[in-house]
Amino acid sequence: MMQTPNYYSKAEFIETDTGNKVSRRATISGPQNIILGGKTIISNGAIIRGDLKRAGPGHAVVISLGRYCLVGEGCVMRPPYKTYRGAFNYYPMKIGDFVHIGANTIVEAATIGNHVEIGKNCVIFTIIKDCAKVADNTIIPPNTVVPALTLFAGSPGHFVEDLPESTQEVVEAYTKSYYTRFQPAER
Amino acid sequence: MTPSVLYHCPCLSTDPAPPPPNTPSSSYRFHPLHELFFCEECDAVRCNRCVSVEVSGYHCPNCLFEVPSASVRAEKNRCARNCFMCPNCRNTLSVVPSDPPDADDGRASVANLSPVGEPPFFLYCNYCRWDSAEVDMTFEKPTGLAAQLQKFEDSAPESLEFERLKEHFEPFLRASSSSSSGLSHANHSHATPVNPITAAASSALARDIPGVGKYTPAPRGRRDKGARDEISEYRSRVEVGGTKDAANVDFMRRLEAVSQVAALGQRWANSWSTTLRASEMKPLRIPLHSKKTKRCPTCRHILIKPEQKAQSVRFKIKLVAANYLPAMTVAFPSSQDSARQRGAGGRQATVEDKSGASGLYAGGTYPFHLALTNPLYDPIQVRLAVQRQIPPPSSSVPSASPEKAPARRPPFAVSLPQSAFPVAAFAEAWEYEDDEDMFGGEEDEIGGLDREHGGPGGKGKTVGVLERRANVTVVGGEVVVGRDAKGPVKFNMLVSYTYRSDDPLAEDDVRATPSRKEKAPEMKTFTFYTVVDLGLVVPRPRTGAE
Repeated sequence: MMQTPNYYSKAEFIETDTGNKVSRRATISGPQNIILGGKTIISNGAIIRGDLKRAGPGHAVVISLGRYCLVGEGCVMRPPYKTYRGAFNYYPMKIGDFVHIGANTIVEAATIGNHVEIGKNCVIFTIIKDCAKVADNTIIPPNTVVPALTLFAGSPGHFVEDLPESTQEVVEAYTKSYYTRFQPAER
Repeated sequence: MTPSVLYHCPCLSTDPAPPPPNTPSSSYRFHPLHELFFCEECDAVRCNRCVSVEVSGYHCPNCLFEVPSASVRAEKNRCARNCFMCPNCRNTLSVVPSDPPDADDGRASVANLSPVGEPPFFLYCNYCRWDSAEVDMTFEKPTGLAAQLQKFEDSAPESLEFERLKEHFEPFLRASSSSSSGLSHANHSHATPVNPITAAASSALARDIPGVGKYTPAPRGRRDKGARDEISEYRSRVEVGGTKDAANVDFMRRLEAVSQVAALGQRWANSWSTTLRASEMKPLRIPLHSKKTKRCPTCRHILIKPEQKAQSVRFKIKLVAANYLPAMTVAFPSSQDSARQRGAGGRQATVEDKSGASGLYAGGTYPFHLALTNPLYDPIQVRLAVQRQIPPPSSSVPSASPEKAPARRPPFAVSLPQSAFPVAAFAEAWEYEDDEDMFGGEEDEIGGLDREHGGPGGKGKTVGVLERRANVTVVGGEVVVGRDAKGPVKFNMLVSYTYRSDDPLAEDDVRATPSRKEKAPEMKTFTFYTVVDLGLVVPRPRTGAE
């Protein structure tokens, strides 16, 4: 009963065979380098830079997202980069399952674990472990690690508190119900 | 604000009834369901405030290295690898090399660059651009910085003093702990352990500082008294106060900008008192985090036991209340029904309805839905009741004093289904059911129900069981908000559910409650309190009725 549908206009989203819902108004560069795990929603205005791949020929996975993820409106996802021994390179970005990223957040992380919630207007340049949560308006500079089951907030982001032990179940249920509620309008 | 249901934890209180829902101080008693634990042995809800906590492992939150507890003490509870905190903004610092020396032609010579970079190395904050060269800290090698930093920390006069103090008490502590080890083990409570050290310290305090009363613990026999006298006098090396304060006063006198003084937040994480000058703050090794084992405060059974690995989010033992108590959510049907009826065509209407539901108007009558989800493998019978009797603080009759009456009696009336209703058992299969199908089915059912009770006017059907689906039962309640009501509509609700405890599937119960399990077909009842928050009563601008 709590599953109030959250309608979207059918023309606005493309649904793939595996249940991914990608907005037509999202900018997906280099789609051949992007993997979506299934039942993942890419919202309006999101930008995913699959074109920023490692130097060299051929395909390479640049950004992979797991199942039941949400990339919020106006998010920018781009792979991290590094100059190592004088050579500039992009590195792949891997995002686990059940990850929600709030609106207008910029993500340039190497890894985001499973069951992670990231708030709105964040800037993330870091590694986020499983079941972590980043509050709205948080900035996490490079070299910081967000450990499992913690809440980070602030600018720069700090550890705030440990999350309850059942975070995994809560986030999983929430992300699943979010996907279920995300329904096309019949028209 | 969305309506919510919070669960009550009695926290070992002998009175099972929760405090009144509206007082600000009662919020500590109510928790979201997913934060609560459940002790099978005691058959009781436990919360983070009442469980006893033990550290099961230490790790650095940054490099996630698991630190053996033996080295935790030696390394002063901080990371001994390369994890540092910026003294300015508390961000994580990174080790950076100096600029590579230019080759003759002016270009950086990439060829003979060492992989780690050129010494000297700095600690650099990529958030606030602080770098350790500001405090004359550079390193020849990019590794083992923590050891160098710790050497510096350990040479602080306070640290030396503390070490000496520890040394001074060490033999005494060893002697007393060996003789009273059994006693200190039993004494795990929050109360200060009454051991000879405390006694000695308090007597020393009483002697040195006049006016401080001597702390007298419960009489514990002759041996302690003798032992207290044995301890020799300790003479400190560091003068208390002394030159540092004078320097600080001088510094404060010449202060030009507030930012010159290190803020409390910047000094907070330091082990020892440090300089007041923001410009002289040293980088800090990152404090370790711990994984915690949680035990029931009464029977000492483990409720939470994490896996050892720092990154792991799994638990060897995890007894959370969500696996035992029915999960409850509360919502107003109006927004959802209208959203369904009008479909996506009426986006405006949905928004309107949402804003309507977020506030209750005085004098209105609102139906609400409570959805109960059964986590057990057995069907349960649930009975709901509003806690009407708020225990009066004094014996006076509420109606006697008109000023007190509104505070005592809530300005709204809640009706809930009177009879017990069933919630079907949880079955794994529903987990795998396709989400879309579940959603579709649910929508149909709501539609059918709507026709049945025909709009908000159908008062006969607003209270009672509205819907049953899988292991979820939705019941309707109704709240009548008084004419001159204001403030939050919050009430305590007593939930009791009955289930068969002999079901072969419920192995956990068989194991947990052997005493009650003697007779086979037994119904068990568990009762708990919740507080239901339906939102705020908004002052009504006009007198139109709902």
